Amino acid sequence: MSANIIEIEHVSKRFGRVVALDDVSLTVKQGEVVVIIGPSGSGKSTLLRCINHLESADSGRIVVDGIPLTEAKNIDKVRAEVGIVFQLFNLFPHLTALENITLAQRIVRKKPQEEAERIAHQLLAKVGIPEKANAYPAQLSGGQQQRVAIARALAMQPKIMLFDEPTSALDPEMIKEVLDVMLDLAKEGMTMVVVSHEMGFVKAAARRIFFMCDGHIIEETTPEGLLTGCKEERTRQFLSKILI
Amino acid sequence: MVSNEGNDIVREIERMAPAQEAQSRPFLLRIDRWWLLFVGVVIITSLLIIKEPDPYRRIFVFLQDGIRVTLSITVVSFLLILLAGLIGGLGRVAKNPIINGIASIYVEIVRGIPLLVQLLFIYYASPVLLRDLGLRLSSIWPTLSAKLISVKLNPFGAAVVGLTVCYGAYMSEIFRAGIESIPKGQMEAARSLGMNYFQAMRYVILPQAVRVILPPVGNEFVALLKDSSLVSVVAVADMTRRGREFMAFTFIPLETWMMVALLYLVMTLFFARVVAYMERKTSFVR
Repeated sequence: MSANIIEIEHVSKRFGRVVALDDVSLTVKQGEVVVIIGPSGSGKSTLLRCINHLESADSGRIVVDGIPLTEAKNIDKVRAEVGIVFQLFNLFPHLTALENITLAQRIVRKKPQEEAERIAHQLLAKVGIPEKANAYPAQLSGGQQQRVAIARALAMQPKIMLFDEPTSALDPEMIKEVLDVMLDLAKEGMTMVVVSHEMGFVKAAARRIFFMCDGHIIEETTPEGLLTGCKEERTRQFLSKILI
Repeated sequence: MVSNEGNDIVREIERMAPAQEAQSRPFLLRIDRWWLLFVGVVIITSLLIIKEPDPYRRIFVFLQDGIRVTLSITVVSFLLILLAGLIGGLGRVAKNPIINGIASIYVEIVRGIPLLVQLLFIYYASPVLLRDLGLRLSSIWPTLSAKLISVKLNPFGAAVVGLTVCYGAYMSEIFRAGIESIPKGQMEAARSLGMNYFQAMRYVILPQAVRVILPPVGNEFVALLKDSSLVSVVAVADMTRRGREFMAFTFIPLETWMMVALLYLVMTLFFARVVAYMERKTSFVR
């Protein structure tokens, strides 16, 4: 049960002369909710995107569900097990909410149309917008779009869910509806890696918190640890800015 | 969810507003006014043909099979051009340097040579090239050699190949631009769901790109219809060539070329309207 489902060992990644990740190591156990925080440009999103190989690490080793990514024969198979939710939703604008959720089920999982639609309706109900099945993304609010995006990722029945600042592009009043869906997922025991500064979510769901700065993980703590004080000066500085 | 209800209603109204506005305007203003120009040109052309048997109806009757050839060469070439553009465009956005290089060289070379010269090359020069190649191969591969030496180009086929090679290069650039106009996040989202590159292209990127490129692709069709007049130099009896033949034994250039010009105009105005209509039908809100 508590096996490591994600193992990141000494991973480095640079974009030209910019070092995005510098010798980062991190493991996530099955069913764990891990939150990564840190200032912008610290490498949080890059680290997340390395886990489903949207970015490939320059050096080091990443093992997801027992499969080392660099040696994976079929990266698409690994990706189907790892759902990701983006900051800007990235829904397919030419498809309805329902079609967004059924597309990959049909062509990747080879599910028949009716079964894919049944699952899609269930998931839309789960994220609280069953009535929006036939709406196009442009007809939905940001919060609704993000919830469709979560349903789309869940439709693949992933073992891991990655969230890349899922609420940063949302109006304040829509943030809660997305966080509620994420909290439900956490309660159900989904393994989650979340890049977010939503302290409400961090306190309620996170088991461990990593603070990243300049491509390094400089501190690991827990929600209680955030309150009682952090060891590193840089972490305290950052938290004092976002906790007000 | 409660907070969104207001927004939904506003969106709904915004979506319906233009339609209602259009409904309340009188019919003549509501239809695309360029249709009137088309109708006007059709009426003038028809009147000339009906009221003036000599020479306009005679010219029209003589041109008739040319019209058929012009239309069929345009349609057949255009279908092949779409295929060439799709393949060329995918090649131009490919990361593989060999595929990308081949596609880029094709586009750059073809765009640098006038269409007329390409048509002349394919019809008059390429059989010579094939024959020379055949002669050299005669000792190594006699069967292929014999085929190459005896090759005889059918004018229609040569014209289709010439138009496809040339317009395919321009069409590749249109497809490339269309594919590149789709935000990077779309490919990332599709790949993250486990789709491979071609599935993501087929189901996510291309359906969106097609809507973007529809106007330029439609313009290419109209441009191709006009440029098809160049195939008259390679022995294809299209409308332009039939016009020249008619003029050669009647010596009435004014009426002949007036009729030819009007018939091209009827066709191009019609297809330009069809393109505009399709554009409106398939546009969608991002």
